[in-house]
Amino acid sequence: MNFVLNLSFSDLLLLLPEIFLTCWLCVVITVDFVSPQMPKERLAYLSVGGLLATLGCLAWFDVNQVSGTLFGNMFVLDRMAIFFKIFILGSTILVILASIEYVDRFTLFRGEYYALVVMSALGMMFMASANDLLSVFVSLEFSTLGFYILVSYLRDDLASNEAGLKFFILGVFAAGLFAYGISLVYGETGKLVFSDMASAPATPGLIIGFLLIFAALGFKIGAVPFHSWIPDTYHGAPTPVTAFLSIAPKGAALAILLRIFIVALGTFKPIWIYLLVAVSIVSMTYGNIVAIAQRNIKRLLAYSGIAQIGNVLIGLAAGTKMGNDAILFYLLAYLFANIGAFAVVIAVSQAIGRDEIEDYRGLGRRSPFLAFSMLLFLLSLAGVPPLAGFIGKLYIFIAAIKEGLYTLITVGLINIVISMYYYLIVVKQMYINEPVDPSPISISGSMKAVIYVGLAGTLVIGIYPQPFTEWVVAATLMFANFMTPAATVSPASLLVGS
Amino acid sequence: MLEELTAVFPILSCILFLPVAGAVVLWLFDDEDMVRSSTLTIALVELALTLFVLLRFVPESAAMQFAERVQWIPALGISYHLAVDGISVLFVGLTAFLTVLVVVYSWDTIRHQVKLYMMCLLALETTTMGVFLSLDLILFFVFWELMLIPSYFLIKLWGAGADRHYAALKFVIYTLLGSVFMLVGIALLDINYHQWASLHHSDHAYSFDLLELLTVPIPISQQIIIFWLMFLGFAFKAPVFPFHTWLPDALLEGPIGMAVVLAGLKLGTFGFIRFSIPLLPDASKSDTIVTVVVGLGLCAILYGAWMALVQADFRRLLAYSSVSHLGFVVVGLFALNYQGLQGSLLTMINLGFSTAGLFFIAGFLYSRQQTTELSAFGGMAKQVPLLATFFLIIGLASIGLPGTNGFVGEFLILVGAFKAKWWVGSVAVLGVIFGAAYFLWYYERSMLGPLGNSVKSTMSDLQLREMVIAASLSIMILWIGLYPSPFLKIMNGSVQALVDRLHHETTAALDNDLTERR
Repeated sequence: MNFVLNLSFSDLLLLLPEIFLTCWLCVVITVDFVSPQMPKERLAYLSVGGLLATLGCLAWFDVNQVSGTLFGNMFVLDRMAIFFKIFILGSTILVILASIEYVDRFTLFRGEYYALVVMSALGMMFMASANDLLSVFVSLEFSTLGFYILVSYLRDDLASNEAGLKFFILGVFAAGLFAYGISLVYGETGKLVFSDMASAPATPGLIIGFLLIFAALGFKIGAVPFHSWIPDTYHGAPTPVTAFLSIAPKGAALAILLRIFIVALGTFKPIWIYLLVAVSIVSMTYGNIVAIAQRNIKRLLAYSGIAQIGNVLIGLAAGTKMGNDAILFYLLAYLFANIGAFAVVIAVSQAIGRDEIEDYRGLGRRSPFLAFSMLLFLLSLAGVPPLAGFIGKLYIFIAAIKEGLYTLITVGLINIVISMYYYLIVVKQMYINEPVDPSPISISGSMKAVIYVGLAGTLVIGIYPQPFTEWVVAATLMFANFMTPAATVSPASLLVGS
Repeated sequence: MLEELTAVFPILSCILFLPVAGAVVLWLFDDEDMVRSSTLTIALVELALTLFVLLRFVPESAAMQFAERVQWIPALGISYHLAVDGISVLFVGLTAFLTVLVVVYSWDTIRHQVKLYMMCLLALETTTMGVFLSLDLILFFVFWELMLIPSYFLIKLWGAGADRHYAALKFVIYTLLGSVFMLVGIALLDINYHQWASLHHSDHAYSFDLLELLTVPIPISQQIIIFWLMFLGFAFKAPVFPFHTWLPDALLEGPIGMAVVLAGLKLGTFGFIRFSIPLLPDASKSDTIVTVVVGLGLCAILYGAWMALVQADFRRLLAYSSVSHLGFVVVGLFALNYQGLQGSLLTMINLGFSTAGLFFIAGFLYSRQQTTELSAFGGMAKQVPLLATFFLIIGLASIGLPGTNGFVGEFLILVGAFKAKWWVGSVAVLGVIFGAAYFLWYYERSMLGPLGNSVKSTMSDLQLREMVIAASLSIMILWIGLYPSPFLKIMNGSVQALVDRLHHETTAALDNDLTERR
């Protein structure tokens, strides 16, 4: 491996978003440090400003099709990386806006909260670009570090502490698995960059190595059987952190999974397809069935998230260009619906102080806006047309049917029916049951903005999905070009519709 | 490909979106009377629009008329494609007609959350219209699914029964279960189109458009799989025996308005004649499928009628009689000949008048005695002669007495069934006899004979609004019964085209061609 660094200024341009965000992070910390009397709300807007600027920069990259690799292929900037970075930044911005009120609950270090969120986002941006096992490991741990702290931010709350501890122990365990997996893979192939591994023969060591890596990433996305931390962590963590945790790291980890399965292991598709089909079926079924029994809305969303990941894995199991497009599209739909749902949860818990499903009694009377938004978000998660979630599920199912994965599809569809059941339980509480306390709920401006963005995304992607489908198709097209010829399964299955 | 007459003015889009736009406008009103009268206005304007379409519709033609087509999601081949032909245009009219009557009926029977009720009703009208108007299968599916949401709220919030929560959930879950299978069938059609199109270098990579899917041959093995998948979707919704268990619950627990729409508009069987039979002609003709489906139809006729005989509650009786009537429709459809298809189509429309009408009658009875149990009635004809008269007219239409609309439809179905297989016809005839038995029995015990114990002597006869409903239904029943040719003329072209397609060998020939190429 060549470790000589030949960096020119134009190469560094590829890193511009990350470099800018790092500097901005320092600015946020410094401002907080220098003027401790300043209202923390301003720090939130300061962070959002920096994130927006980074987002703008990435959008400019996307439009001008900036791409390339750095540091001997460790870091890659292609349109898929840009897609995921925009995805991560978008969710970070929404999460910060949704947490402004909630931050008042923290007794200490309110300013650092925003810095930690931005830091995690930065780590995840690196994840989206990671192109070899080492950079994956480093960026993964970097982003998780921020989350370890964020999850246990409610210092006096036992549940939050428990959540933090569970998350930490299992997270470190996953990191150990990952490191061990890397060592096995490197030992067998002598390679770290994904595209170099493509032609490696399937030795037992390599297979075990990749299984370990898959387990570690499965932990990140919360697929069964690596999901055990999810319910307690989601339940105990501060709600905005839960929202963040339920979206951004999943997106970033999926970027890595896509690169590993399609680029590094493309030739082994006949083998790993069984693994993915099994994990997908178990995740969907387990997540949905256990969700039925939940009494807490955060736990319900946690289990529904596990099931949603099962759906995403259907697209990965398809293993085609269309499957990848579908994953990206699904994530977009999931982003808006999920963050919207969590925003409603935050707004309700600000007013009531609890987040049991029972507390949603008569929300339709107390706040028609919140109830209607929640209705749309839940229906989108369930996949009811014409909302974004429906098109996402349709896209994934078509990709899988094209590959003949009928069992998977059948299970997936039955799961839609199951999921409808528990989403309707919440709907029933909101609209059918009479409220205990009929006083109206007030919502802050920033929270309203988040919910409006969620609604807009859910409706626009559902009703006019064409620009978004074009975007995701373009995003994975560039990604396909980066694949070495040996890695492509068959050229025909990669190019959609041609 | 079928001929298509493009619309100059997007009247179908207007019909489709007027109710839901109206529902949004209702949001602004607070006064309940204002809400009621504006809902009625919207429903009447909608009816006027559909009448315009019916009058301008070219009869005896198989063409898709008033077509509108815009690309929606090109990446997946989904388009916004609306049109009516002889199969669907009458349903559009029927939907608008029944909605007006439901609004009139709900005027003073719905007393709480009037605004929300009317909004749900109008949203339901849009989704139902969407099901009848869509020619793109995904668009169709969108409306098919969306329909569940207003229905769920209607049953749950305004249902009178104690088990309405259970009924609403059961309705949603059952229908959803069927429709997810249907979605797989739809996706398989799309994939088949894609494979065929890429072999023949067609421009459109994917398509869900009915008219485009019709041009592509489908291997018989695929057709059978797709048929069963779509069958599940339509059978749950229709509902075809043995998928009917949600229906009695939903009809009994839900409000009368919802029951009228659910029982009056035969969406499931419409799905068969609109999509399954034309798209999958070889599968629809295959012996196994015809035997199984017709067998289920016959079971439904006998089972439904048998169950209806023993019901003491009038709405439950109607639910089972619905199951029985749907059995007739299914038998007629899968006789797969001209008379059978035409009779089924006409019967679907007829049921929109007679079954829906009987539900209105059940509503009238309910508002007088707060129940539809038989024990609450007896000898009512003396107290409420008008109600008893209309009850008899609509009821006789439902059992198919000559001179009413029910006779024309059932007669055609029986002719079709006898032409297809004599024993199918003979079993189906039994259903007619049972039908007469359960209705006349209930009528005799509730309306004739000595006055029931709980019948008050102060009971009022039909009021003006109720008269309007009963009279307009009776007029339609007698019109179709005595002079059905305008209605049959509208259907003829499309039904003939469907029969031609069914008994044409080209699809099979193209099929071989495709296998050779592979």
